[in-house]
Amino acid sequence: METLTLTINGEKVESLIEPNMTLQEFLHDTLGMTGTKKGCGSGLCGCCTVLVDGMAVKSCLILAMQVRGRNIRTIEGLAQGEKLDPVQEAFIENAAIQCGFCSPGMIMASKALLEESPNPSEEDVRMALSGNLCRCTGYHKIVKAVLSASEKYRQAQA
Amino acid sequence: MKADKEYNYIGKSIANVNALPKATGSAEYTSDMKLPGMLYGKVKRSPYPHARIISIDTSKAERLPGVKVVIVGDEKTCPGRFGAGIADEYVLARDKVLYVGDPVAAVAAESEEIAQQAVDLIEVEYEELPAVFDGEEAFKKNPPVILHEDLKNYKTLRSVPPRLDEKRPNVFNYFRIRHGNVEDGFREADLVFENRFETAMIHHVQMEPHCGVAMVDDTGRLIVWGTSSKPYGMHRDICEAHGLPPSAVRVIIPKHVGGSFGGREPKAEQIAAALVLAQKGNPKRPVKVWWTREEHLSTTTTRAHYIVDIKTGVKKDGTIVANEMRLILVGGAYAGTGYLTARNAAFGPAANYKIPNFNLDAYGVYTNQRMAGAYRGFGNAEALWGMESQMDIVAEALNMDPWEFRLKNCTDEGDLNAFGERMHSVGAKECLRAVAELIEWGKKPESKKPHLKRGKGIALGNKYSIIPTASAAIIKVHPDGLVELRTSTVEIGQGSSTIFAQMIAEEFKIPVEKVRVLNPDTDITPFDLGTASSRSTFNMGNAIIMACQDAKRQLFELAAKKLEASPDDLDTADSRVFVKGSPDRSIHIRDLFIPMVIGGYTLEEGAEILGKATYYLPGVMPDPETGQSERPASFYMFVAQAAEVEVDIETGKIRIVKIATANDCGKAINPMLVEGQQEGGVLSNGIGSALLEQVITDNGVMLNPQFADYKIPTTLDCPNLSDYRSAILETAHREGPWGAKGVGEGTMVCTAPAIANAIYDAIGIRFHEIPITPEKVLMALKKKRNAQ
Repeated sequence: METLTLTINGEKVESLIEPNMTLQEFLHDTLGMTGTKKGCGSGLCGCCTVLVDGMAVKSCLILAMQVRGRNIRTIEGLAQGEKLDPVQEAFIENAAIQCGFCSPGMIMASKALLEESPNPSEEDVRMALSGNLCRCTGYHKIVKAVLSASEKYRQAQA
Repeated sequence: MKADKEYNYIGKSIANVNALPKATGSAEYTSDMKLPGMLYGKVKRSPYPHARIISIDTSKAERLPGVKVVIVGDEKTCPGRFGAGIADEYVLARDKVLYVGDPVAAVAAESEEIAQQAVDLIEVEYEELPAVFDGEEAFKKNPPVILHEDLKNYKTLRSVPPRLDEKRPNVFNYFRIRHGNVEDGFREADLVFENRFETAMIHHVQMEPHCGVAMVDDTGRLIVWGTSSKPYGMHRDICEAHGLPPSAVRVIIPKHVGGSFGGREPKAEQIAAALVLAQKGNPKRPVKVWWTREEHLSTTTTRAHYIVDIKTGVKKDGTIVANEMRLILVGGAYAGTGYLTARNAAFGPAANYKIPNFNLDAYGVYTNQRMAGAYRGFGNAEALWGMESQMDIVAEALNMDPWEFRLKNCTDEGDLNAFGERMHSVGAKECLRAVAELIEWGKKPESKKPHLKRGKGIALGNKYSIIPTASAAIIKVHPDGLVELRTSTVEIGQGSSTIFAQMIAEEFKIPVEKVRVLNPDTDITPFDLGTASSRSTFNMGNAIIMACQDAKRQLFELAAKKLEASPDDLDTADSRVFVKGSPDRSIHIRDLFIPMVIGGYTLEEGAEILGKATYYLPGVMPDPETGQSERPASFYMFVAQAAEVEVDIETGKIRIVKIATANDCGKAINPMLVEGQQEGGVLSNGIGSALLEQVITDNGVMLNPQFADYKIPTTLDCPNLSDYRSAILETAHREGPWGAKGVGEGTMVCTAPAIANAIYDAIGIRFHEIPITPEKVLMALKKKRNAQ
């Protein structure tokens, strides 16, 4: 067991963990944060995407010990109290969520894109989400939702 | 039918009522479950496609610290066989293994790691047996291998019994249609075409792999949670597998399930149950079994490899006069829902066109592979892959436009289909017209560069919904006016909870937020046939309307006394009951209840306001010799699809330039959610099955059980937003709720042929097998060049 200290959704977390535990397992199994889903365990589906210092990372591919001292943001930390993030709002309004199993990862990957490039083209969105699989939607409403969220960001800033 | 503006909720694109927890990460799926004291189960699987089990040594596994229980397939842990239509499968293999991945033993331990270590310590001695993978070989009268020697003595379903073929020992179901006289039809024909088409084995790829959690409560009763889309089917299977009476088992499906697409056969749930029941002493600890992605892709239900032979006779004027088909579902080692898929694949071809002389023979065949069963479209996408490719071949030979050829021959209201059924609610022509407009059919596509060839293609399809069928609904009106629905429809992401809430909101004239839809629980929610066959809107929708009327009648009888009016003169809105025409004479639902000392509310009699109803449609069982029936299906959803593709003749790569779909759903209760079904069906399952997806095996072992090698469409495989076009058509059904039928399965039944027909238009090569991969395109181009 080793001591892990890191920040999750703005809160300092300290825990004693096995060094071979992945970040996904730490978040989901140890902390009970059900939003970080395991869809494949090999970095190929994107269901477990979280932000590490603002960058989209597949949390099943990284050991928890590797993000010691870093800032982690998960789907549970996206809303500000009751106020949803514009990406979450856009996913709901555009029916970009069907079974929902890919949604947390998809939303986090979209968030990372919009933080970095608030005015993406459709091609940018498709490229940024190409590592996140969804079987229900054909991505149509997901891409629409991300473009609509970018509009919301711009309006909020104007 | 009233116009949409007269409705508050019907026909409105409201957001999915379950989207918020999914968007914030709080939604709990079976795979998120963690019960106190829960153990983790893992399975030992057969490495051989066919072998006799000589011995199993579990002693080392049992001695591993942290292991609670190890089970093998014996009389004690696996007393009974189960299966959707034929009881041909034990929870763990007994005596013989029949496919690579067949479970032979299972372990429950303190952690997944320990359970896996224990599985690795189990030693199984096998005697390898010859295996059969080839559908035609297995189909033979003297096949090299007979999988189930005792097949004819297996228990079968009474309501839709499978038909075995005495001469062909691996056939698990045979269905036939004899309509008109095909010999006369082919004699009458000016041209006759014979072709074979095949589809590859593909996987549903639900994002949440199958998962089951089981426990026994303090009375010893078994409770099982799972990802199944058919709670009552799963309940029956568990009772049969473990020799338990129905009342001894409770099945719960959580509010959220990570996709279905037809493939939710409850094997993980069965093994979790077995691992709980096998524990000695009391209390027994809960067990969770969750397939890894690799197990999910390599051992669970697939869409079968299909062999479609089709012979079509036409007159020179383009009239189809005869059609003969043989369909072989190359099934797995166990029939599963595939027993019904094998039969019902016939429905799409039977209803697409008015063909006076029509013969069809449909078979399901056992082979030494994992189960092949239900997949969005239920065999119809496979059968129509053949038929709709054939229609383009015929149209070209006749020098007819393929769109006009379809318009000329497609069924219409009142036409007889090949079952001899008079069709009702047929949107075929409307769909064809709409899709032609969406894809600009008359406009020849321009190839931008010499090596990039463009073409357009079209296809017509339909999807029936199952008969016999039944759905039951219970409506509870709470004292605060909230209306609760108890339904066993599973929310697999399709949006059933939302449209049910809309229906109830419409009936009670309350906001959707004042409706609650419970998740399936066989202790609480009444019978439903299952979330399959695009049947929920129609069947459960009808049950909901009837249950709402029953609840409102009870409400009005109570209110009538207080309002001094006749129940017939009352109506309800905004949680109040009022006299029609005098809204000032009203009472809040709360005030129909009596607040009680210490707490709670009561009624003077009748306990609660509880409306209940069953919607039951028995239909008419097709004649076993001719398949003729006045009512073999609940309804038919029609669809026309068209694609424009660009083929790179240097790389063989196919790009979908544009794709369009027009779906007749009867009535869109929620157009935005209907769109969601269309998009998923066309862009993911449709394009995937046509161009990308294929389970590749060697001696029964899947070689591509990871997403790196089994490719489903990504954002980059789908056309841009403006290049995907869709239309919703509403050909009302006289028995449908607000005229509604369904949508989900109809969305991909003709995507592959539309794409293949476009590829033919682009490069003049007819592909007979899907997926059409770049390798196949390059090879075909080379062959064509060499032939020239």
